[in-house]
Amino acid sequence: MLQRIASGDSAAVRECIEQYGALIWSIARRLSRTPSDAEDATQEIFLDIWRSASRFDASQGSAKVFIAMIARRRLIDRLRKSSAEPPMDPMETLDTLEWTDSSTSSEISMEAEQATRALAELRPEQRQVLELGLLHGLSQSEIAIRLQMPLGSVKSFMRRGLIKVREQMNIQAEGVSARV
Amino acid sequence: MPETPPQGQPDEVMVDLLVKQVTEGLSSDEQRELDVLDSETASAYLRDFERAAAAVTLAASAGAEPLPAELAQRIARQADGHFAAVTGTAAKVSSLDAARNAQRDASSASPARAPRRSSPKTGAFAWLAAAACLVLAVFGWMRPPAPVETPPIAVTSPAITPAAPPLPPAPRSAAEERAAMLAKSDSVKVTLGPTKDPAAKGVSGDVVWDPATQKGFLHFVGLASNDPAVHQYQVWIFDAARDQRYPIDGGVFDVPADANEVVIPINASLAVSKVAAFAVTVEKPGGVVVSARQHVVALGAAG
Repeated sequence: MLQRIASGDSAAVRECIEQYGALIWSIARRLSRTPSDAEDATQEIFLDIWRSASRFDASQGSAKVFIAMIARRRLIDRLRKSSAEPPMDPMETLDTLEWTDSSTSSEISMEAEQATRALAELRPEQRQVLELGLLHGLSQSEIAIRLQMPLGSVKSFMRRGLIKVREQMNIQAEGVSARV
Repeated sequence: MPETPPQGQPDEVMVDLLVKQVTEGLSSDEQRELDVLDSETASAYLRDFERAAAAVTLAASAGAEPLPAELAQRIARQADGHFAAVTGTAAKVSSLDAARNAQRDASSASPARAPRRSSPKTGAFAWLAAAACLVLAVFGWMRPPAPVETPPIAVTSPAITPAAPPLPPAPRSAAEERAAMLAKSDSVKVTLGPTKDPAAKGVSGDVVWDPATQKGFLHFVGLASNDPAVHQYQVWIFDAARDQRYPIDGGVFDVPADANEVVIPINASLAVSKVAAFAVTVEKPGGVVVSARQHVVALGAAG
């Protein structure tokens, strides 16, 4: 689909909106301050997708991950520019997150299953730090304040959590391990 | 003293910076700090961390709420505008009047320099200003319309409907369709007048609308070109049978670079009972559902 988008195929563009619209909208709502911000961000993300479609390399991962990466980049950029508070109280929404059940989901990507497995192996506080940072756009300092945890611990949990997921995804690069 | 990692492997400082970049972004100082580190290694690991973060995001996105239909439609329109601009077809097929182009006021504000967000207050003021301009436009319309010039013409498409082709239509067909519509006795002809908006300086145009087919064409001379990634023009149709605060969306369109004269097909999103007026505004890519009318560049009232 992304290759077709890169060539300007309007049918592929609409397929992309249909297939990934909910995903992007969900990420944008979580990492935006207001619904209006989320709408603007969603439009910008799709524009980024149209522009970046030609760079998609299936050997590097799934289209879903590629699109989620684009979405995250745009949203983090917007959050930084707005220097704003996070959009909502993340503690209220942590429990509402619908995590993938890798045993039942047929739609979810392999990478998401791997991430779910990695998260399951984390200690609860590590997982919480990762969720607040990755899914709710809280900075490490904000997480430290919210969880009343030393900033060094937040950094460490974040780093180890991300490395754990990365390892689970079989990204084999030397030098970084969960022991870093 | 910290141990120096082997070549091609990140040290803790780099890992911390990369993790921060992926989770919350870096300050300019932190970015500079990262820039002086081994860029090849940093790029490789950054990508890995971004993939990991994206995977976690995906894992938490099961059962996501669908994208609102209006937003999806806006994104589709934005995509049409983007790909039309990327292909450059419209620009390539445009036949430009060089003399007119030279005369174009170089100081007239391009919409790209103009857009700003509206506040409720300025929006209300814009409404009044737009209404005042509409009155002027009506008076302008009362004067005998100038003969409609035909070629040379560049054509862009607002590409509104899902069935729209990926590329703008052939320029001659649009010009010919407009000419044929002008010749019809039951078509509505409206002269478009410029507003006080800086982007409207030197703009002239007209609309022909066929109530039977619910189709129409905008024709502009001197409307500044736009970057579809930054903003687009949007057409609004005022229907006498509807609340005038909520005109009908007639689609978004672009003016290719150096195209002094353009013909743009109008695709109304709703049926128009009786055309009262047309307006063209500058909006964000893909257009908006309700315009703040911050930048109204042309207005014209039907008789």
